Amino acid sequence: MSPLDDVGLSIVERPTPKDEAELVAACLAGEVAAQRTLFRREFGRVNATIYRLLGPTREVDDLVQETFIAVFRGLAKFRGEARLATWIDRIAVRVALDHVRTHRSSPVSLGLIGGAHEELADASIPDAQAHAREGLRRLYAALAELSPDARTAFALYAIDGRSIAEVASLIGTSVVTAKVRIWRARRELMKRAATDPVLKELL
Amino acid sequence: MKIEVDAPQNESRRDRIERNVFTQLAQLRLSDRADAAVPEPPASNRRAWMFAGLGAAVAAIVILVVSTKAPAPAPAPIVEDTTPTRIVTPVGGQSQFTVGDAVIMAASDTSVDVKHAADGGITLVVARGAIECDVAPRHQRPPFHVIAGDVSVEVVGTRFTVTRTPSPRVDVVRGKVRVRAPGGTWLLSAGDSWTPPVTAQAIEPAIGPAIDPAIDPTIDPAIDPARTAPPPQPAPTVLSPHARYQLAEKLEATDAPRAAKMYRSIASSNDAWAAPALFGLAELDAKSNATNALADCEEYLRRFATSAQAEDVEWLRIEILRSAGQRDKARVAATEYLRQWPQGSYAGIARRLASPP
Repeated sequence: MSPLDDVGLSIVERPTPKDEAELVAACLAGEVAAQRTLFRREFGRVNATIYRLLGPTREVDDLVQETFIAVFRGLAKFRGEARLATWIDRIAVRVALDHVRTHRSSPVSLGLIGGAHEELADASIPDAQAHAREGLRRLYAALAELSPDARTAFALYAIDGRSIAEVASLIGTSVVTAKVRIWRARRELMKRAATDPVLKELL
Repeated sequence: MKIEVDAPQNESRRDRIERNVFTQLAQLRLSDRADAAVPEPPASNRRAWMFAGLGAAVAAIVILVVSTKAPAPAPAPIVEDTTPTRIVTPVGGQSQFTVGDAVIMAASDTSVDVKHAADGGITLVVARGAIECDVAPRHQRPPFHVIAGDVSVEVVGTRFTVTRTPSPRVDVVRGKVRVRAPGGTWLLSAGDSWTPPVTAQAIEPAIGPAIDPAIDPTIDPAIDPARTAPPPQPAPTVLSPHARYQLAEKLEATDAPRAAKMYRSIASSNDAWAAPALFGLAELDAKSNATNALADCEEYLRRFATSAQAEDVEWLRIEILRSAGQRDKARVAATEYLRQWPQGSYAGIARRLASPP
């Protein structure tokens, strides 16, 4: 049921507080409106980061949810040394990494996650699109074979588009360690791509 | 190297996750309050417990570890109870509380319901996490049970560990325990281990030597299966309101009437999950019966007016009115919404709806 469809309306974001400190203070004071503002402001990036780290798995929604629960439950510990977004990203990466370490989830059909990929099974979609999705599936299958640390570092760098310094900060290592992990992951992927033309095209 | 991967961004998915986040946060706040309300035993009492524990060779310690996904109903030995108390510890925290003559330590990220039976018996139902119980030998005392998923452990007077993940397992360190699980009942003694049988046939005692109460003072002859030989009985199922709420969510897609019944049952209680259940019921009814859905929303707003989800419920009410073609009522409801939440999530749309046609 979506009563907005017939009148062409869309959700209007409320004005956000002046700065992060104000927003955090309002959230800590229990203001639900501020908490919702924070959620909506950060959702897109957290969702994208976790999706890019894990690929199209059933668990993405749960992990996004878990991240925000951890954010709101831990907000009192946010001291403002880093940007709020960075602090939240660290939590998202930690949640995703913990999940990979404990579950070693493998990618599933892109159709399962809904949204952008729901039409996968539709035979009418262009071949190029289907080809790209097959590449994506193979990429995450290959990433699933890597160590969780290497997989996370590589995905943050090569898929989520973070700089190496950011990767190091998010996974809590030195820049050199982050570089080594990315390099190792890339080497393994390239090995696999040598016999997989679809994956090779993507890389 | 940059690999393009676009994450799905549709709004309904975002809204669903948002709703789940705030529902869960509201529950956690309630649980925190309940947790804070449980008085920690005074230091002198704790010391007394420690000495009692050291002095009593037959004191029992139960450690339970269960997964967060515990779908199977428990063969609960006790169902007649007062409203259970739920203890929840946050991630990284710990809680200690007393139940009758037992001292319970709840580990990080644990949820446990404490139920008191009419006969004075105590049942702990662990939904997730781990608990450690320091329990005196039962003898003439009321029974003490711990349920984790489909495994039920009856304290006789012993020390043992019950593990739920990766698969159920019971290891007995000292004394005796009785394990009930689908398939039957097992009596274990020190050094025994139990895992679920491949077949459903249980032999009692399946593991461990026969126990003679005459030489084992930790066994209460009144409940010794060697004497009473009770056949394994299918026991009534006890599911926590949280578990029932989750079940109702799953049932929505396949058996909406049953899901609605389950939501209503939870919503009619005073449990912390009553509000989310009533919201779930309203959303479910909105798909098929606008009148019922509106009644659900109104009940919610009357009973849980200050809850974190009240704004969403009010907005749902407006959506239902609009879908039912009751535009005048929807306009009035939008005005009411704006009065309560002038900066709310739906304020922009509400202003357009509230403006005269």
